[in-house]
Amino acid sequence: MDGTIDFSMGLSEGVAWPWPIAVYLFFAGISGGALTCAMVIRFYKNQTENTPFYKAAAVISFVTISLGMLCLVLDLTNPLFFWRILVFYNFNSVMSIGVLALSVYIPLTAVISLLALEDEIRSVPVLKILVPIIEKLKAVRKPAEVIVLILALSVCAYTGFLISALIRFPIINTSVLPALFIASGLSAGAAAAKMAAVSIFKGDLHSSDMKLLHGAEWPIMFAEIMFLFMIATSLLTGNAGAQSAFAAFHSGVWANVFWLGVVGVGFVGPILLNFATSKSFSHSAKAFYVSGLCSVSGMMCLRLFILYAGQHFAI
Amino acid sequence: MIIAPLGCSSVKEESDANKPHYVMVFDQNKCTGCGECKDACNVANNLPDGKSRMVMEQLSGGVAGEICPHCGKTECNCERKYVRVSCQQCKNAPCVTVCPTGAAHRDEKTGIVTMDASKCAGCKYCIGACPYDARYINKETDVADNCDFCLHSKLAIGELPACVQQCRYDALIFGDANDSTSYVSKLLRVKDSVRIKPGFGTEPSLRYIPVVKIGV
Repeated sequence: MDGTIDFSMGLSEGVAWPWPIAVYLFFAGISGGALTCAMVIRFYKNQTENTPFYKAAAVISFVTISLGMLCLVLDLTNPLFFWRILVFYNFNSVMSIGVLALSVYIPLTAVISLLALEDEIRSVPVLKILVPIIEKLKAVRKPAEVIVLILALSVCAYTGFLISALIRFPIINTSVLPALFIASGLSAGAAAAKMAAVSIFKGDLHSSDMKLLHGAEWPIMFAEIMFLFMIATSLLTGNAGAQSAFAAFHSGVWANVFWLGVVGVGFVGPILLNFATSKSFSHSAKAFYVSGLCSVSGMMCLRLFILYAGQHFAI
Repeated sequence: MIIAPLGCSSVKEESDANKPHYVMVFDQNKCTGCGECKDACNVANNLPDGKSRMVMEQLSGGVAGEICPHCGKTECNCERKYVRVSCQQCKNAPCVTVCPTGAAHRDEKTGIVTMDASKCAGCKYCIGACPYDARYINKETDVADNCDFCLHSKLAIGELPACVQQCRYDALIFGDANDSTSYVSKLLRVKDSVRIKPGFGTEPSLRYIPVVKIGV
């Protein structure tokens, strides 16, 4: 009874989740990735002071996740319905579990930001009222940092689990997606926080934190490339639906976004800037910022590609 | 002893057998594609103008000036075939699983997948998760909506779903498949019927009796 009866029409109009959701996935990835890097460095090096990178990662994690939430709310059919997600829960739903994680994570990023910016807050007279709060928060700093590290990784993974539950779309419905989103969140989050550390918090371009991050950058990028390769091969060797979705990699506008944005800007850009240029240029501030921007833009393209190409190729 | 409880968990709960299992059968041999089912749906469920919880897709057969979806020619002898596109009322419903607020839920008494509009946040997770793309946003209420066999509009007052009542060709049959004396049970016992995209493992409650005859 092969293909006895089927239909191709649908009742929904356009894609269910348009670009604001891709931007949300992007911001959540940056937030979780930046904070994970900062916490890992802090624990690994037993740091007790607030380093420029730590400050930058804390602020970025709070600002980006807040912007991400804004995108999420604005994408609801009626943004005023937002409270319903906070009041009603369904623990079979990935989104509901994510809401719980985020409702702990977001206040904690604010706490970490307050602790990280202690010196800056003390130097601004208007913000002096926050000092007693910071003093109180210091008592819970260590547990807060451990929990926020776990939650930061969870938030990165959550954005992958969230969309991989959409079984109609072969590109999206893969088990590698959470891992891919952790890897790309780490690389773009680290890049964003590095740039903020040097530009806003006057960090040294060649500090030991930066060296450590620079060393971790390439293995993470390799993991990202590997995960993408795994998705592509599983589609190519998969069933009819998966095979037709493989077209996303070689035809249409989203193939351009993938090859120019994700691969060209996101991977080839930083590699060329670091390894194909003279040592004096590759160690310059200019190369540092361009390479960081490449990494962040590549990640945005990756989220757009996965979401749009993913929803375009339905079974 | 270790494996025993795992074995038990896969056994269906006994109470399920006493509950109704409402199914709808679409007989493609009888459907003429008149589309009156859509109009009846719109009226019965107070939907926005021109909107219904189900649509008809033409699979083959020429309409003057249009290309036949089956053979691709403007003039052909293909038989006109239609298919009902609507919520498949899955027993294993992805929309119910993913809904963060429980707005998309299974009605306790009837087992029908329906909506609690007062809980829906409009996140559209259910729309992306539905393997059949059978859900949509009602533009007037801003919440997700699906065909629930007219649970609140017609079944509640003891009537058949509006589309079933409207169909003049008996192409739609509705009833309780768990009641062995119901017409729909008897029909399914003697007719070959298929489900759409069974590979998703959603166990839909909509059954289709397809046209299988190709020529004389």
